[in-house]
Amino acid sequence: MSTLSQRPRPRRQLSLRQGRRGLLYLALLGGGLIWLYPFLWALGSSLKSTDGFFSGGLNPIPSEFHWSNYSEAWTQADFSKFFVNTVLFATGTVIVTLLATSMAGYVLARTDFPGKKIWLGLVGVTLFLPHGYTIIPVFDLIQRLHLLNTLWSVVIVQSAGGMVFGTFLFMGYFTTIDRGLEDAARVDGANFHQIFWRIMLPLSGPMLATVGLFACINAWNSFFIPLVFTLSRPELHTLSVGMFNFIGQNSTAWTLVCAGSVITLLPIVLIFIVLQRFFINGLAGAVKQ
Amino acid sequence: MSLLDTRERKRASPTPPPAAAHPGLGRRIRAAKWSYLYLAPMAVLLLAFVVYPIFASFGYTFYRWNGIGAPGNYVGLANFRQILGDSIFWGAVEHTFVYAFVLVPVQLLLALALALVLNNPKLKFALFFRTVYFIPVVTSAAVVGVVIQLMLANFGDSAGSLLAKTGMTNGHIDWLGDPHTALAVIIAIGIWHTLGYNLVYFLAGLQTIPAELYEAAKLDGCGPVQSFFRITIPMLRQVGVVIVVLAFIGSFQVFDLVQVLTGGGPYFATEVVNTYIYHLAFGGSAGAAAQPDIGLASAASFLYGLLLIVFSALQVLALRGISRRRAAADR
Repeated sequence: MSTLSQRPRPRRQLSLRQGRRGLLYLALLGGGLIWLYPFLWALGSSLKSTDGFFSGGLNPIPSEFHWSNYSEAWTQADFSKFFVNTVLFATGTVIVTLLATSMAGYVLARTDFPGKKIWLGLVGVTLFLPHGYTIIPVFDLIQRLHLLNTLWSVVIVQSAGGMVFGTFLFMGYFTTIDRGLEDAARVDGANFHQIFWRIMLPLSGPMLATVGLFACINAWNSFFIPLVFTLSRPELHTLSVGMFNFIGQNSTAWTLVCAGSVITLLPIVLIFIVLQRFFINGLAGAVKQ
Repeated sequence: MSLLDTRERKRASPTPPPAAAHPGLGRRIRAAKWSYLYLAPMAVLLLAFVVYPIFASFGYTFYRWNGIGAPGNYVGLANFRQILGDSIFWGAVEHTFVYAFVLVPVQLLLALALALVLNNPKLKFALFFRTVYFIPVVTSAAVVGVVIQLMLANFGDSAGSLLAKTGMTNGHIDWLGDPHTALAVIIAIGIWHTLGYNLVYFLAGLQTIPAELYEAAKLDGCGPVQSFFRITIPMLRQVGVVIVVLAFIGSFQVFDLVQVLTGGGPYFATEVVNTYIYHLAFGGSAGAAAQPDIGLASAASFLYGLLLIVFSALQVLALRGISRRRAAADR
């Protein structure tokens, strides 16, 4: 008797837990839908006809699909040129940022030198200061270096802006790597450079992905810096700048604007999805310390 | 920052430099030549494009200068006086602080709750959900601004007319054009746009907590609520401090989102400090200067920088005080 009466209990508990889990997934999905709604709307609107756009309101589903919006935006607004510029800009920024921050993070984490603490303090202070307005002296400096209206200027200024955060991340990461590795390499006759380039850097894959991804996202989305430094050379504009010019010129072609938004978004979202598994691991490694 | 300081101290204390080896400064500098060389690219970029401009701008604060040619019209402290007496500046400071103090707590609570759910190893599709909630971060403020503006515009079945149909409001709402709603809408969009960062930071922090702790707690009869308050919160404290500080820094620098959504309007209702400075420097809607004035803009950013440094110092002191008291209580 007793065994019979007890038997149904585990099953009921299981179904209760299953129900709760189902609710959890439902809530996550619902929240996710709200979170992605603006993107779904932009994607849908990019395929609408102009009339459909104005009558559709918040409904993301187009009544008919106008794929030509994409080819029109691509050619009419010179998105192909902007696309190449943005890729060059983002790639350059990632390379400069990774080189500078990994090297700096390594020596700050693993070596001791006079002035290190002063430098760390200064770097920390710059994190708190508002930077936006310093564009005037930066502009002045770039002009004197004869780099104005080149992609180089945009790469350099953009990289400089992301330097502190990346350095701190690398610093945190390198402090977690076992010191015995370096000691062993040193015993085997490896010098300072070999230890960094052959051992420490290859070991910091997740952090390279994390900092690189940050730099890439920020460069891809950067608006102000490319705008200011390529002002008089429209052929050097990036996607975000180009899209804004496009709005100025075609203030009624909203479906094309939506297509432009999707063109601007898609590559960086794809890069993120491919690299994101490194991302959290990299950050976790940095905060572990 | 406080975390770095303590980390530095911790690492320094167990291995004090051997007392016998006390070479002179010159020799120590020469011995560390490769360290300096490796630091050089970062140091040069930071000094040239971040540190030098801060000081150079300070020089501009004494001039009335439209940014063309060399600054020539020396005005002393007049720029500071003008900024301090400008109600739009103080309004911008207020809006920035409202933005930060509403956004940061709401967003961090949301991010922590979401991170706790997504950190559950039994959860399926965790990677998918993580990606979904992170995607707004990957999106530029420019695109967000355009898309949200179009969505909020009153075309067809817009959000405004939908609300009107449910009888909650009487008709047309101009979300970003109404001074009473504009800042709230921007804060909501700000929460949506940057939640992913804090979600990822919290996830990273949660992953550093050893699973054995939870297993041991379970054996000791701890429920999920108890282990949250007894294990998760204390173990997240250090990472949490960094997350809070970074969230405030980010919020105090808010610019892109406001600029693309409202440009600081309507009637300065969403003017934040950085848009105010931008309008002073490059012209635009700020009332203080019809003409671009780099001197005024530099004075405003200098004053705001001071304000932020004071605030950051208070924040660091407060957090240090809390963790010290907690540490004492733990003992």
